Amino acid sequence: MSDKVAILGVGMTKIDSAKKDQKLDDMVFEAASKALAQASLDREEIDSVVIAACDELDGRCISSMLLAMPAGAYLKDEIKVTDDGSYGVILAAMRLMTGLFDLSLVVSWCKTSEAPLSDVMSMRWDPFYHRGIGMNHITAAALMAGAYAERHGISSDIPAKVVVKNRRNGSRNLNAHLRTPVTMGEVRLSPRVSWPLRALDCAPESDGACALILASPRRAKKLKRDAVRLAGFGWAADSYYLGERMLWDSPSLRIAAGKAYGMAKIKEPVAEIDAAEISDFTSYHELLAYEGLGFCGSGQAQDLIREGITAREGGLPVNPSGGLLCSNPFTAAGLFRICEAFLQVAGKAGDHQIRGATKALAQGSAGFCAQGNAVFVLTQ
Amino acid sequence: MKEMMTLKGGWNVKYNYAVGPTGTRFFKALKGEAKIIAPKCPKCGLVMLPPRSFCERCFVPIDEWVEVGMEGTIQAFTVVPVKFESLPDPPYAIAYVLLDGAGTAMVNFVKNVDLSDLRKAAKKLAIGKRVRVVFEKKRKGTIHDFHYELLKP
Repeated sequence: MSDKVAILGVGMTKIDSAKKDQKLDDMVFEAASKALAQASLDREEIDSVVIAACDELDGRCISSMLLAMPAGAYLKDEIKVTDDGSYGVILAAMRLMTGLFDLSLVVSWCKTSEAPLSDVMSMRWDPFYHRGIGMNHITAAALMAGAYAERHGISSDIPAKVVVKNRRNGSRNLNAHLRTPVTMGEVRLSPRVSWPLRALDCAPESDGACALILASPRRAKKLKRDAVRLAGFGWAADSYYLGERMLWDSPSLRIAAGKAYGMAKIKEPVAEIDAAEISDFTSYHELLAYEGLGFCGSGQAQDLIREGITAREGGLPVNPSGGLLCSNPFTAAGLFRICEAFLQVAGKAGDHQIRGATKALAQGSAGFCAQGNAVFVLTQ
Repeated sequence: MKEMMTLKGGWNVKYNYAVGPTGTRFFKALKGEAKIIAPKCPKCGLVMLPPRSFCERCFVPIDEWVEVGMEGTIQAFTVVPVKFESLPDPPYAIAYVLLDGAGTAMVNFVKNVDLSDLRKAAKKLAIGKRVRVVFEKKRKGTIHDFHYELLKP
């Protein structure tokens, strides 16, 4: 019997550009209800609720006080993280591993259509040395993209191929925001937003909520059916100061992946992992993540793309759901990655299922240029 | 119901951030002496810009300062041709510059580049290119007291 935390079910709203037909709490309620339904559980059975959201993007101070209830936390011990949705799973899993809790509901959401995203992102910079120097999430990503391309001599067709791959994958995912594939020509002709990034190199801004139910090892043992296990996880944070970081490298992701692989006893990630859902906030983020996750050596992500290793049909499909380049409910993006990894291992991913997947990886990231990273390994 | 209602809202909140002794010393040198000074970690020797009162890695307080050079090398840059909410009007160029004698790069605008052609501008601003620090005539003790200019625009 496994001593690992189990995942019993997930719930996701459709990801859209603007969910004007749903109030924020209705969207959260939909995701939490769907997760409970998939796990065949009642809200009363849940003994721990973790939510992950961003007050500034929710447009409400301490938004958890409003949104804990649609997340299922009425008179329960709700607690909130604000980094990225995936960090909610870290907190929930650790609480379950203490032996004090049995069933945890993790819920995350973001309605970017309601929020001034660029405004909030520029406010994330410190007011002394960065704010007012023209930086937000896109221009910071552009600094990283340029540094990475220069360091390794990456031609612009490589990130464009990442976009084409993920958009093609997203066209199979009924839940994705952008479901139309794009050609290399369309990527090349899309306008520059911040050199060297083009509009299609960047994730869209989306609305969506998702939820996931975790069970303690003790509770999981009582289940009759086989459950998906959270075999390993790890996380790490780099310096806030971009000028102190080597922007062409992701040491925090390497450390996070090393911890997750150690816990899940993974020695050769490319050979052992069947599908990966990673935080491709831009096409360049995906390339950097291959290297941080140990899918290849430094500067070799371009080879994986050129050889089609990470395509749907390749040896290690990355972002079979289409990833963030198709759907980007900002704060919730990382928890969506874990939900998608769950669907792959549970064999429930529908048209974007990778056949026979038994081991999947999910990566969430927080902060500018993936300052913080969290890695999760899910197994049957 | 076909058409759903939306409600406009906003928040306009003011802050009064303490700059602290390290930042105050840095900004006073910028404003009063047109100098860039940087703290140096007593343990690993890293010279940090923007300045900090402690070393993140060695986790020790810093009280040693050095003056860095008025020229440096571009480590990362971007040129922004579109308007983003809360950001300056386009086009503008920014760069992380490793000033001579410093161990970490600091971001600011690069102002003497023709940005009318994005590709040409990016070529001029390439990583490794040399820039100089240019001080504003009227300085207020903020990060906007200086900007960078390419040595060979």
